[in-house]
Amino acid sequence: MAEQFKLVLKNADSPGYTPDMECYLKHGGYQALRKALATAPRDLPDGKKLSPQEVIRDDVKASGLRGRGGAGFSAGLKWSFVDRRSGKPIYLICNADESEPGTFKDRQILHKDPHQLIEGMVISCWANDVKLAYIYIRGEMPHGARILNQALREARAKGFLGKNILGVGYDLEIHVHRGAGAYICGEETGLIESLEGKRAYPRIKPPYFPAVLGLYMCPTIVNNVETLAAVKHIVEMGPVNYAKLGTPNNTGTRLVSLSGDVQKPGYFEIEVGKVTLGQLINDANFGGGLKPGRTLKAVIPGGSSSKVLKAGEVFKLKRKGADGQMTTVDVPLLDLPYDFDSLQAAGSMSGSGAIIVLDDSRSMVETLANLSEFYAHESCGQCTPCREGALWLAKGTHRLSHGEGRKVDAEYLLHIAQNIQGRTICAFGEAAAWPVLSFVKKFREEFEAHGAAAEAARKNSTSAGTHQH
Amino acid sequence: MPTLILNGQRRECPEGLTILTACRSLGIEVPTLCHDERLAPTGGCRLCGVEIEGWNHHPSACNTVVHDGMVIRTHTTAVEQQRRTLLQLLADGYPADAVTAAPDKEFHRWLIHYQITPRGRLATDVDPAHSQPPFRDTTHPYLRADFAQCIACQRCVRICDEVQGRFVWRAWNRGDATRIRPGNSPILLASDCVSCGACVDTCPTGALEDQSIHHKGRPTAWTQTTCPYCGTGCEMSVGTRAGQIVQVLPVRSAAVSRGHLCVKGRYAFDYNHAPDRVTEPMIRDALGWRKVSWDDAVAFVAHRLGEIVRTSGPDNVGVLGSARGTNEENYVAQKFARVVLGTNNVDACARVCHAPSAAALNSQLGTGAATNSFADIEHARAFLLCGTNPTENHPIVGARILQAVQRGARLIVIDPREIELARSATVHLAVRPGTNVLLLNALAHVIVEEALYDVPTVEHRVAGWSVFREFIRAFTPESVAEVCGVPAEAIRRAARIYATEAPAMGFHGLGLTEHAQGTEGVMCLVNLALLTGNLGRAGAGVNPLRGQNNVQGSAHMGCEPDHLTGYTPLEFGRAQFEAIWQAPIPHQRGLNLMQMMDAAAAGQLQALWAIGYDIALTQPNTSATRAALARLKLVIVQDLFLTELAREFGHVFLPACSSFEKDGTFMNSERRVQRVRAALPPAGRSKSDWEIISAVATAMGSQSAFAYSSAEAIWNEIRALWPAGAGISYARLESGGLQWPCPTENHPGTPILHVDRFAHGQRAPLQCISHRASHEVVSTEFPFLLTTGRTLYGFNAGTMTGRTPNRQLRRTDTLDMAPVDAERLSWREGERIRVQSRHGAAVLPLRIDPRMRAGDLFATFHTVEAALNQLTSPYQDPLTRTPEYKRVAVRLIRETALESERAPADGVR
Ligand SMILES: Cc1cc2nc3c(=O)[nH]c(=O)nc-3n(C[C@H](O)[C@H](O)[C@H](O)COP(=O)(O)O)c2cc1C
Ligand code: SF4
Ligand code: SF4
Ligand code: SF4
Ligand code: FES
Repeated sequence: MAEQFKLVLKNADSPGYTPDMECYLKHGGYQALRKALATAPRDLPDGKKLSPQEVIRDDVKASGLRGRGGAGFSAGLKWSFVDRRSGKPIYLICNADESEPGTFKDRQILHKDPHQLIEGMVISCWANDVKLAYIYIRGEMPHGARILNQALREARAKGFLGKNILGVGYDLEIHVHRGAGAYICGEETGLIESLEGKRAYPRIKPPYFPAVLGLYMCPTIVNNVETLAAVKHIVEMGPVNYAKLGTPNNTGTRLVSLSGDVQKPGYFEIEVGKVTLGQLINDANFGGGLKPGRTLKAVIPGGSSSKVLKAGEVFKLKRKGADGQMTTVDVPLLDLPYDFDSLQAAGSMSGSGAIIVLDDSRSMVETLANLSEFYAHESCGQCTPCREGALWLAKGTHRLSHGEGRKVDAEYLLHIAQNIQGRTICAFGEAAAWPVLSFVKKFREEFEAHGAAAEAARKNSTSAGTHQH
Repeated sequence: MPTLILNGQRRECPEGLTILTACRSLGIEVPTLCHDERLAPTGGCRLCGVEIEGWNHHPSACNTVVHDGMVIRTHTTAVEQQRRTLLQLLADGYPADAVTAAPDKEFHRWLIHYQITPRGRLATDVDPAHSQPPFRDTTHPYLRADFAQCIACQRCVRICDEVQGRFVWRAWNRGDATRIRPGNSPILLASDCVSCGACVDTCPTGALEDQSIHHKGRPTAWTQTTCPYCGTGCEMSVGTRAGQIVQVLPVRSAAVSRGHLCVKGRYAFDYNHAPDRVTEPMIRDALGWRKVSWDDAVAFVAHRLGEIVRTSGPDNVGVLGSARGTNEENYVAQKFARVVLGTNNVDACARVCHAPSAAALNSQLGTGAATNSFADIEHARAFLLCGTNPTENHPIVGARILQAVQRGARLIVIDPREIELARSATVHLAVRPGTNVLLLNALAHVIVEEALYDVPTVEHRVAGWSVFREFIRAFTPESVAEVCGVPAEAIRRAARIYATEAPAMGFHGLGLTEHAQGTEGVMCLVNLALLTGNLGRAGAGVNPLRGQNNVQGSAHMGCEPDHLTGYTPLEFGRAQFEAIWQAPIPHQRGLNLMQMMDAAAAGQLQALWAIGYDIALTQPNTSATRAALARLKLVIVQDLFLTELAREFGHVFLPACSSFEKDGTFMNSERRVQRVRAALPPAGRSKSDWEIISAVATAMGSQSAFAYSSAEAIWNEIRALWPAGAGISYARLESGGLQWPCPTENHPGTPILHVDRFAHGQRAPLQCISHRASHEVVSTEFPFLLTTGRTLYGFNAGTMTGRTPNRQLRRTDTLDMAPVDAERLSWREGERIRVQSRHGAAVLPLRIDPRMRAGDLFATFHTVEAALNQLTSPYQDPLTRTPEYKRVAVRLIRETALESERAPADGVR
């Protein structure tokens, strides 16, 4: 039977654990920071020498840590892109905007174990020569902001933050910034604009790659809460041991938010790729299965933006056989290991780690209409395709779900979605288009049936109408 | 150089270009909507999407940078289809008739190109939760908004933020509910809008439009010329239709303005067609003004001038050139004075503004003009602004400084008032008027005392260091703080910034020069630049901001009693000039404007020829001026309008063309010579100044020396006499202005002076300047200190702006007072206040202005009604005789009526 593996949430979920400094210290808090600050320079086989900071950066790369915010990009690689020669300050921002529908995992860390995040941040900042960092927290989480501010005060009082941290001559300040209530504030360049006091309008890349022209046009690192918390564990256990958790190229642990039509919705921490979608949905120590009498219809595997997977789908995955040869194997939906690469190979993504389960009681048309309304409402409005297109997607799906659609609407929705994806400033365009593309392609009959039924109903009512005259 | 395969062809293009610029430079047009080369790319509209081999999406060409080996296709079926879909989406809610009404608008052009017909938005399609009617505003005299045509490209928002720095437009709501509206007010007139019209210029639809287009129709012809207002020297395109100017737009390639204009250049052109424009020559007799033929007018002038010269001597005549006139015209004016009349009595309005700058810069550095260029603004790490209010008086310079400051440059503002830039300043030194020298010396003191000076410059390029070091010791910030009204610590901070944030660029204006110590004030600034090595390098220098478009040129062309063309000292240039002019130059020293007034008052000047210069309004101390003018036997006024000078003192009026009606050149503040081109034929029977002067010269027997066929012919004569301008030909000016020195036809011009050496040698002297207190003193009888100046919507005496809708944007001159003073006196805004100085009185409505300091007052002189120069004193800078406009002690008496209650006829003259 698959098990949870508690690393990041180990303390948070232990009974009696409180978010204050005292409790954190009792549980070995800030030892990883001490360890990091005491890192010795490292000699490389090629004769090069790594500074202590470079050692940490190297370790994060070696740990295989991938971003937990959505894109799953290598954290170590992201750090290596930072422009360190510009002479400008380098900023680090913790993305605590957590607003992808279905996602409720960062708040577990923020609310229950804020010091773990702070410790991870201080280490990450030190390793990247950052003197000023921000936690951008979702506006709707005022309680989280209070907890963080309290924790930061405690950290300052203890010398883990502020001037001359732990006497090594390193200064760092971390500020909490509360968002203003828009989904787009979670997109890293939108977040940066918002942090600068402007509307969260995402920036075009090039030229505004955060690693070069980020906050105040200075090099900037943006990482998710969970990503930064993991850094602490990488330092604590060493990159090699961390990489032993999970599966190759999908290392470590991951927080999963499970919601929808399961018996026990909730959050779980798993070793990446060691647990399958089926286990997450059905095992007693995870989702506990579907509601009685229901069958599975579809799974949205990585937050509302990820492409939907249909019950019964079988995917072709590449696997390394015992002989070291790559072979292609057929993997049914419920046997998909929950990791970055498998979900990508299945044509979707693990995104923010939010699994939304849909059973046979759900109308795919209504579900999509619901999602599309969200995206139409949340588009920032900068890009023509997104601003106008997301609205049309919402209108089209609304029409269908209210019995006002047409059979051709399915095709029409696909056409618009195709004209959004890949044609916008930020990945919101994909986020809005992907659900539509996958829902309509995979459940086409349902969409067409809705449209056809509405057409028929209209025909009847008009002929009935003529009759009366 | 990267090599690309562009639409199947191998092409090369410079490194770092975007695909869009690369395509455009190679002659391939890629459709765009949200792009404007004046703005940072946002990549929002996606019309510019192209295909790149190996990329799985269509990147936007406007921000994607080319790489070597890129295979780009700009017009494949897929991208064309994408463009059609996008336009369709936008067209869906677009008013159908807008396209036919203005097919040239960028968006409309693409709709037509892709054969997409707007359908107009169905009312049911508007989500009632979001619906907010589109913004509409027709109340502004110049800009008009009808946002049913807004496609939310945000160009208006961005240009206002990124170019003008006013942040007027904002996007409201999100997604499809996005509405563009002013951020802080329901209409533009009540917003922070400064009416520069940049948003209208960039708008790709008809959502924002010029009112003039709405009322008068679209231009049918365009002419590129140079702005008739301030010394910034913006280039503009003048659009005409049926003999009228209907629109003025910025020139994108312009060196100074780079596609931007301020309200004056962009919109204030109606004076050209004002109903009271005089376009017939007139002579005044006992019955009043009488229209005459040009022949009669010229004969009259020639006869009367000849008579006075013959009977009383040439030095009984004075000629005033014009900062409104071209270089060519001013050259002809001074040549006329010297050759035809035989007097050096020739001057221009530089006397009353920047003669101190020219004198100080010339004596210390060897060239009496700005050391650097506006292009240096982007290189400066700090700015020192002294007595200048660029966002109002040189708005394009102001906007560029503001942008630089917003990007992180430091800014020190020395000005008694909290001018707009002071709000963005790192340090604002609100100096008490008349104490500039003390303050600037204190800055020098800190630089010397804290050893912040630039050692190599002080060692190798400066003279008089040891004496100066001793001299400056006494000027501690603490010792001047009280007199200057500025905290000592602020002075230290400012000095440190100026000295350490190199390069630091200085700009100064009339707040420095129009003082009894004007020239010495400028010298103090030069001292600072010398000490800190801020000369001869990019992003530095001492740069006077010249008030009028050609004030630099009028003086430089020789409308200066002591100098010939090219600021050549009279005796130094005599031989060469006499050879070319084939006439002797008088030896008698000439009178400058101030001395002419004194001479007139004493009966020693009998005739004055004033070209485009209303000295009756603009001279200080009006009562003395009037007394002097009244004694003149002959006042020749050459202008567009019956100015106050003409109305009261003129004997003959010669109607001149405006700068929209003639050819020539102007010289801006940064020594740049730019073309002026006729967009219209002369109004009525008006003539250009040089034609008028030449006609009189001919009538007075100097035919051959004034037989010019064109402005260019005059310019070529100037080039022959002025070595630093020899390389500036009309042919070269076709492709943009040139900055002198430009000695040869293949010389690129000189953006930065004094790079290796100064014009007069290796070392420039530091000047030890002591403070002299002004004669204008505050006393119990005259407890307030008044400074005079200009505002955004007004220009000098208002001769031009007063005849445009600018008057709706600022209706009246005001007396600005600090809230504490108003409170103490229990006076309310709008109350009419009699302002009395030791020299005269004026009545102005009160304006309570939190930017004023207690005890100080500020007033403008843009209207005849205010006649502000009744108040100003006879005191002058002894070195250049520039009047002390900036400091008058006054007392105030409240008149009863409120401005709003005043009967229209109740003007106080
Ligand atoms: C529309 C949109 C919304 C996003 N919202 C979030 C969010 O709420 N939290 C988050 O961590 N990342 C979010 N992201 C991803 C961030 O842009 C960014 O990739 C992430 O913070 C990087 O952190 P990581 O590398 O540690 O994952 C969002 C991205 C998009 C396109
Ligand atoms: S894709 Fe959508 S959300 Fe992203 S910048 Fe464009 S309009 Fe805004
Ligand atoms: S008003 Fe014009 S420039 Fe401004 S957003 Fe609308 S269409 Fe664009
Ligand atoms: S800044 Fe000066 S030159 Fe430029 S448009 Fe305005 S008035 Fe004309
Ligand atoms: S012009 Fe490139 S996206 Fe608009």
